[in-house]
Amino acid sequence: MSSILREAGETFVTLAKGFSVTFSNMLRKTVTENYPEEPVHFQDRYRGIHVLHRDENGLEKCVGCFLCAAACPARCIYIEAAENTDAQRISAGERYARVYNIDYSRCIFCGYCVEACPTDAITHGHGFELAPSDINALIYRKEKLLEKGTVRDVASNQLFL
Amino acid sequence: MADSKDVTLKIDDRDVTVPPGTLVIEAARRMGIEVPSFCYYPGLSLQAACRMCLVEVERAPKLQTACTLVAMPGMVVRTNTEQVHQARKAMLEFLLANHPLDCPVCDKGGECELQDMAFTYGADKSRFAEEKRHRPERKWSEAVYYDAPRCILCFRCVRVCDEGMDVKALGVGQRGSQSVIIPNGEDHLDCEECGMCIDICPVGALTSGTYRYKTRPWEMKYVSTVCAHCSNGCKTTLSVRNNEILRANNRDLSGFNKEFLCVKGRFGFDFTSHPERLKLPLVRRNGHLEPASWEDAIAEASRRLAEVHKASGADSIGFIGSNRTTNEENYLLGRIARASIGTNNLDHHRTADYPSLIAALGEKAAAATVTMTQLYEADAVLLIGDDPTQQNPLVAWQIRAAIRHRGSRLYVINAKSIKLRRKAREFVEVSQGGEAAAVSWLSGSDETLDPGVAESLSALKSALEKENNVVVVFGAELTGAAVRDLVKFGASLPGQTRYMALGDYANSRGASDMGLLPHLLPGYAPLADVKAREKFGKVWGAKLTNKPGLDARGMLAAATSGKLRALYVVGANPVKTFGVNANERLGKLDLLIVHDLFLTETAKLADIVLPAAAAYEKDGSVTNTAGEVQLVRKGGDVMGTRSDFDILRIFSHQLAEHGLGQAIRLRTPEAAFDEIRQSVAGYDLSMAALLLGEAERTSPISTAGGQAKFDAPVGAIFSAHDTLFASGSLGRYCTTILSLPEAGPKTTPEAGAHS
Repeated sequence: MSSILREAGETFVTLAKGFSVTFSNMLRKTVTENYPEEPVHFQDRYRGIHVLHRDENGLEKCVGCFLCAAACPARCIYIEAAENTDAQRISAGERYARVYNIDYSRCIFCGYCVEACPTDAITHGHGFELAPSDINALIYRKEKLLEKGTVRDVASNQLFL
Repeated sequence: MADSKDVTLKIDDRDVTVPPGTLVIEAARRMGIEVPSFCYYPGLSLQAACRMCLVEVERAPKLQTACTLVAMPGMVVRTNTEQVHQARKAMLEFLLANHPLDCPVCDKGGECELQDMAFTYGADKSRFAEEKRHRPERKWSEAVYYDAPRCILCFRCVRVCDEGMDVKALGVGQRGSQSVIIPNGEDHLDCEECGMCIDICPVGALTSGTYRYKTRPWEMKYVSTVCAHCSNGCKTTLSVRNNEILRANNRDLSGFNKEFLCVKGRFGFDFTSHPERLKLPLVRRNGHLEPASWEDAIAEASRRLAEVHKASGADSIGFIGSNRTTNEENYLLGRIARASIGTNNLDHHRTADYPSLIAALGEKAAAATVTMTQLYEADAVLLIGDDPTQQNPLVAWQIRAAIRHRGSRLYVINAKSIKLRRKAREFVEVSQGGEAAAVSWLSGSDETLDPGVAESLSALKSALEKENNVVVVFGAELTGAAVRDLVKFGASLPGQTRYMALGDYANSRGASDMGLLPHLLPGYAPLADVKAREKFGKVWGAKLTNKPGLDARGMLAAATSGKLRALYVVGANPVKTFGVNANERLGKLDLLIVHDLFLTETAKLADIVLPAAAAYEKDGSVTNTAGEVQLVRKGGDVMGTRSDFDILRIFSHQLAEHGLGQAIRLRTPEAAFDEIRQSVAGYDLSMAALLLGEAERTSPISTAGGQAKFDAPVGAIFSAHDTLFASGSLGRYCTTILSLPEAGPKTTPEAGAHS
């Protein structure tokens, strides 16, 4: 008899223990991401698809120095530089990147390019949906990487797209 | 070997023995001790401006500049003490006080001496709180840009322009920390545009207009090759990215030219990417040149050439070669003409009389000609004709360096008051074209000269008689008998006399050496020499004819009169060079085949045009005007073109299928060069030295003996007198050079220079 009672007691304790985990977690914030129904939440430092930034005047921060390409262990960055002119000013420095490609079939998201950049022009964004059906689509051009923004004409202080 | 006068001193506790007069910085470098410096540059005057080379010398009260301190016996120098380190750090702090930190943008970043020094010796922080002084960047010319804040005032550019180039286009303005480099035209440069100042600048203050902001040093591959323009054969390093040549400078300081390059060597590479470059073979159909495939074009060319051969015989076909193509290509062309077709109608645009010089020197030819380095070592130079500053810039550079460093004497005989006159001890001004008469007079003939000229010539003669070691440098003004007279005069001088003939183009000498001449086989073997004919006949698998061939002018005349039915032109523009009327098709030719980079006046008249690779796009060897052989290496690549070597080789196979000669089985330029080494007199050179990138001098010996003739027809040998800003047909496609104001009014390819 006593053994049955003890058994029932033990069962109850075990159940209570088990359900205490269940119930305490029921009250917690959910961790599971409901991707793709809902947007994904990231840590700030998550290293996703790169973003090329603009400065406060809307000019490209990238001065085409090739240091990211030099730092890249996967050699996935390809740059062609050119000179800014008074008529066409793309970046604040003398030089800008006329072509800036990142090959995401090679990128290992190590972040060395971000570390190497002397002008904070490149950072990792939170984009991650890379999968294409065509491998060529994995080469992202500057237009795709560049932050959207407006360019301020310094002389007239006018904003234009 | 230690000389009794040698000086022994102690640097960093190690003894070193150096010749007297050696600077401490050089003595240290010899021991492998790096003493940092900016303003010190071997070969230029001393400046002691940068104060980076400060060293501690025992019993000297203060630190001394190693670049001006002459090594003395018993001197004790320390380069590695705390005081020296402090001094270097402080000097760099001063240099960086106004130097912008724009290394990521600066073209010099990655190969900058200041960057390296700051990294090795500098402090990581600056104590200067003041704002850096900024000055706007200046464009001095299409080729040279100056960014004043980056300048560290080492004055290397000023000195190289003044001493090295004798142009004096750069100077220093303002004083103290306000100093700036200023150009002679106030806001622009008016100079030879050699770009030496860019090359020698240790920082990014002077940058090249062609290379600016295009890429970075570590992104490119470097190909050490030989300049494609004049006949001096300067080594140049091509900086190549994505098969495109972006820069040319002699980065590794290899070759006899060291850091020297002229405007053509430094900026004249952009013809390779000119939009008018031919990239597809063209075949004339219904009167128009239309694109065709390589297979069709070569098949048609060889079929039609075989037809002409069958219908009109071998001597109805002529070959005009190039003075830009490699030795191997010239050798193959000679073989196709002489062995496959069986004609001696073979020539090129001759720009110097090498055969006469070699024949006149006879067995002494090797010992009596000088290399570019030996030119620098000469005690006296006699320059007859030519204008080396414009036509042979390295020769002028070597002569100036010899005068500056070694106190050599220069004597000039010229019809024009050329720039080198200011360095000359004696200058004899002769009438236009009077150089040959002057030489004839010097050799003791009874030539009647203007009394004034005769007087200055005899003064020159007595001056030369006092010299022990004379190098005679002469241009195309002396040909045939004049060259023989010159050698006769040289032999009459008491001292040693040696010679250098000046041609026009990168392989002018090679074309001559490889026998692109109607009367001479490769290695200057006369056609009349049965043994030589048998030797080459055996190598080439054919019996060679000794029937005299036509020279270039003869071929063009025969083409007009209808005697010549087919003409094969490789990398030459005879229509322009020899002034043929281009309005009508080349006489009554049945077939005109042209290999070229561009649609030149000659190519426009052709039936078949084959797009050739440029000198920077192929392997092989070239021989400079002094007879120094160097290897060229493939740098860039242009899709659709083929090297002349490939074209000729394929062509020989096609001709063999039509029953003409044997196919050429030499697969690569190296294999062809091996055959040249074995069969061409004077070309048995050290392959190891050549592969190391060195220049090896050929030693051809004329076997003609007393049979040698000095009767080259009038007008067969002439210089195009290209200036620094012209380079035959190629010069018209060098966009950067043509954009320079010194190049004169803008020329279109139509109205361009000579070929």
